[in-house]
Amino acid sequence: MEIGVKKLVIAVAGNPNVGKSTLFNALTGEKVHVANWPGVTVERKEGGIRFGEYELKFVDLPGIYSLSANSLEEIIAREYIVSGEPDAVLVLVDSTAPERTMYLALQVLELTGRVVIALTKSDRTHTMGIHIHVDKMEEKLGVPVVAISALQGLGLRELLERLVEVAEGKKGRRIPVRVDYGALEPFIREVEEVIRASGMLRRYDSRWAAIRLLEGDPRLAELAEKEGREEQLKHILMLREAVKRSIGKLPEDLAVEARYRFLDGTMKDLVIRVERRESRLIKALDRVYLNPVASPIVSILLIFLVFFVAFSVNLGFPLDVILNSLGMTEAAEAVSEFSLSGLMEKGFAVLCEGVSSLAVAAGAPSWFVSLLTDGVITGVGAVLSFLPLIVLVYALLALLEDSGLAPRIAVAFDGFFRRFGFPGRVLFPIVISLGCNVPAVVATRTIEDEEERMISILAVPFIPCQARLVVLLGISAAIFRSSLAQAASVLSIYLAAFLVFLASGIILRVLLFKRREVSELVLELPPIHKPSAKVVWWLTWDNSKHFLRKAGVIILTLSVVTWFLLNTGPNGMMVDLEESYAAIIGRALAPLGHLYQIEGENAWKVMFALIHGFIAKEAVLEAIALLSPEAGGISEAVQALGLTSMQAYSLLLFATLYVPCLATVAVVLQEARRARYALLLVAYMFAIALLISLAAYWLAVLLL
Amino acid sequence: MMTLDRIPGGTRVKLKSLEACPHGLARRLMEMGLVPGEEVEVVSNIRGPVIIRVRGVVLALGRGIARRILVE
Repeated sequence: MEIGVKKLVIAVAGNPNVGKSTLFNALTGEKVHVANWPGVTVERKEGGIRFGEYELKFVDLPGIYSLSANSLEEIIAREYIVSGEPDAVLVLVDSTAPERTMYLALQVLELTGRVVIALTKSDRTHTMGIHIHVDKMEEKLGVPVVAISALQGLGLRELLERLVEVAEGKKGRRIPVRVDYGALEPFIREVEEVIRASGMLRRYDSRWAAIRLLEGDPRLAELAEKEGREEQLKHILMLREAVKRSIGKLPEDLAVEARYRFLDGTMKDLVIRVERRESRLIKALDRVYLNPVASPIVSILLIFLVFFVAFSVNLGFPLDVILNSLGMTEAAEAVSEFSLSGLMEKGFAVLCEGVSSLAVAAGAPSWFVSLLTDGVITGVGAVLSFLPLIVLVYALLALLEDSGLAPRIAVAFDGFFRRFGFPGRVLFPIVISLGCNVPAVVATRTIEDEEERMISILAVPFIPCQARLVVLLGISAAIFRSSLAQAASVLSIYLAAFLVFLASGIILRVLLFKRREVSELVLELPPIHKPSAKVVWWLTWDNSKHFLRKAGVIILTLSVVTWFLLNTGPNGMMVDLEESYAAIIGRALAPLGHLYQIEGENAWKVMFALIHGFIAKEAVLEAIALLSPEAGGISEAVQALGLTSMQAYSLLLFATLYVPCLATVAVVLQEARRARYALLLVAYMFAIALLISLAAYWLAVLLL
Repeated sequence: MMTLDRIPGGTRVKLKSLEACPHGLARRLMEMGLVPGEEVEVVSNIRGPVIIRVRGVVLALGRGIARRILVE
C-alpha cells in the first residue's frame, strides 16, 4: 500500500434493473474481482478505484428489493452492511421509478445513517416527464443525494466526493431514519425494552432490531437463538400475537404499509410527474408485446432470426444445412468453410503443423509433439473457437435485455414453460442450445430466481446442439437406406430430447429442491428503450471474459487429460489405439453394449466412440473412423460396426442424451458454482440416456 | 369481491388485500409496492400473466397470483 493513501470500503445496494452493474462498470472499469460470498454460492463482485488521496473499494451487494431476509441475497446484503466493514453504503434509486425503488433505500436508512443515495438513469427522466428535487430530498432524508447517469458519466465525480465525505463521517446522518410505525409503536417500544435490558443482538440498532423481530424476521430470530435468548424470543412472539389480536393485521404487513406511507409523505413534493407522449416506435412495441397472440409470434421470429445470424456467421450452421437441402452444395460448403469456426479450425491446423515440424526439427520426442499439438494447441483451439460464437450470442442477448424486450418475450412464453418448472426466460437458452450448449448455459444468467436458474442450467444440455446433429445425420445416413427413415429417426430423436428436457424441469425440481408446486411469475418489466452500445459492450465483454477465464482453463485441462487417456496406456507413451487407457475403459464399459445385444469387438468400439463424444460430440464420428482405418469414409466405418437399424437408432438416442461434452460440463461448473451439480448433471444425463435408449431398443425388439 | 385477474386492461383499481397469497409471496409483493390501499393500473389482461403498473413500475404477475389479490 502506498503511504498517504486511505482505504475506504463502499457497499453498493440496489434493486434488480436499477442500473447497478452499469454504474459499477462506469466506476470501476476493468478492475473487478469476482468471488463468492463466504460460505455461500452467491456471486460477490468487488472493484477498486483511486480517487484523490483515497483508495475506494466498491463491494457489489446482490440485487434485492428489500432487507427483510426473505432470501439468501437479502440476508447477505443486510449482514454485510452491519458487519462494520463498509465505511459507507451507496444505495441506488431508479429516478424513473423513485416511488418504488426508494423502499430499499429507506430500509438501509433505518439501519445506518452512513448512506449516499444515487438517483440512476437521470438522463432519462426528462423525456419521461419526471422531475426530482434533489436538494429538498437531501434535506428531508439527511444524507447526500446525487443524480447520476452512469452511461453519460454525469454526476459520478460528485458521487465519489459525497461517498468520501460520508465514509469519513463529515456528512450523512448520525442516527438512522426513524419511521413512524403508527399503531405498532407501543409494541416496538416494548420489544426495544426487552432487547436493551438483555443486551441481545448488539450489532444492530436496538429500534431496528425491535421492528424486525416484531415483523417475525427469521434470520434475526436465528441469531438471537444462537445467543441463547429463548426467553426474550418467547416474549417477542407473545407481542406479535398481541398485535394480530388487537389490530387484526400481521405486524409485517403494518410495517411495510408504514414504510410506504412514510415514503409517500416524504417524497410527495419531491417527485413531479408530467404526462409525456412516448415515441411511436416504443408505443407500437409495447402494444405488440402486451398482446398475448402477437407477442409470442413476433418474439419467436425475432429470436430465431437473431440466432440464425449468430450461428451461421460462426458455425455455418444452420445456413449450410438449408443450402444443402436446396441442392446448393457448393454454397453450403463455402458457408461452413468461411464461417468463423471453419477459419479458426484451418488456422489451428496450420499452427499444429508448423509447431510439430519445428518441434521435430528441434529433436523433441514424438509423444511431446503429439501432446503439444493434439493436446494443448487443440485444447486452446477448442476454447478460442467457442469465443466468437459466445461473444456474438452474448451481444445479441445483451441487446434484447438492455432494450427491455427480453423480459417481455419471457412473459409471452412463461405460461408454457412454467408448467414444467422453467421460467419464460428459458426460451433463450433453449434456442441457443440448438446451436451450442456452452453459451446456452451462460445465457441462463438473466434468470433471476436461483432455483429456476439451476434447473435450467441442468436441463438445457439435453437440447441437441449442432455437433450432435452432425452425428445424428452421419450415422443415420449410414444405417438407414430411405431418406424418409433418416428424417424420421433424426426428428424423433429431437422430439425425444425436447420432451426429456421438459420432464427434467419437473424431475430436477423434486430431486434438488424437494418441491412439488411450481412457483409463479413475478417479473418486473423495465420500460422499452433504445439499447445503449456501452451497456451492450459491457455485458458482452463481462460474460465473454468470464467464459475465457473459468471455462477456458477447465476445457484446456480436460483436453490434456483426454490426450493422455487416448495416447498412453499401461505399456507407456504413444501406444496403439487398442492399448490406450481409453480402449481399456471402453472394454470395461463393453457390458453396457451387451445390454443392446451388441456383441464381441463391436461392443467396446461403440463405447470407445462414445467416450470420444465426451470431448466434443462430433468426435463420435471421428472415433468410429479411427477404429476402421481400412473403411473408405464415415458411412463404411459405421457399417463396419455391423449394427442393426434398431441398435443404431438406440445408439443415436443414447449418444444424443448421454453426457454433455466437456466444454458444457466446464461451463456448468462455472455457472452453478457447485461441483456436485456438474457431477449430478453427468450422472443424471447418463441414467436418463440409458433408460430411454434401452426402453426404445427392447420395445422395438419385443414388438417388431 | 373482485380479484385482480378479472379486471380488464386499462382499468385503475385499488388494492384491497393480499391475504389469500402464501405468506412469503405476499411479503415480497408488498415490498415491491403492492400495498393494500395502493392504486394499481391494469395495463393488459387478456391471457397469460396480468400486466400491472404500480408505483411507476410495470410488473407481470402470474394468473394464479392475480387470482389471489383482492381489489376494489
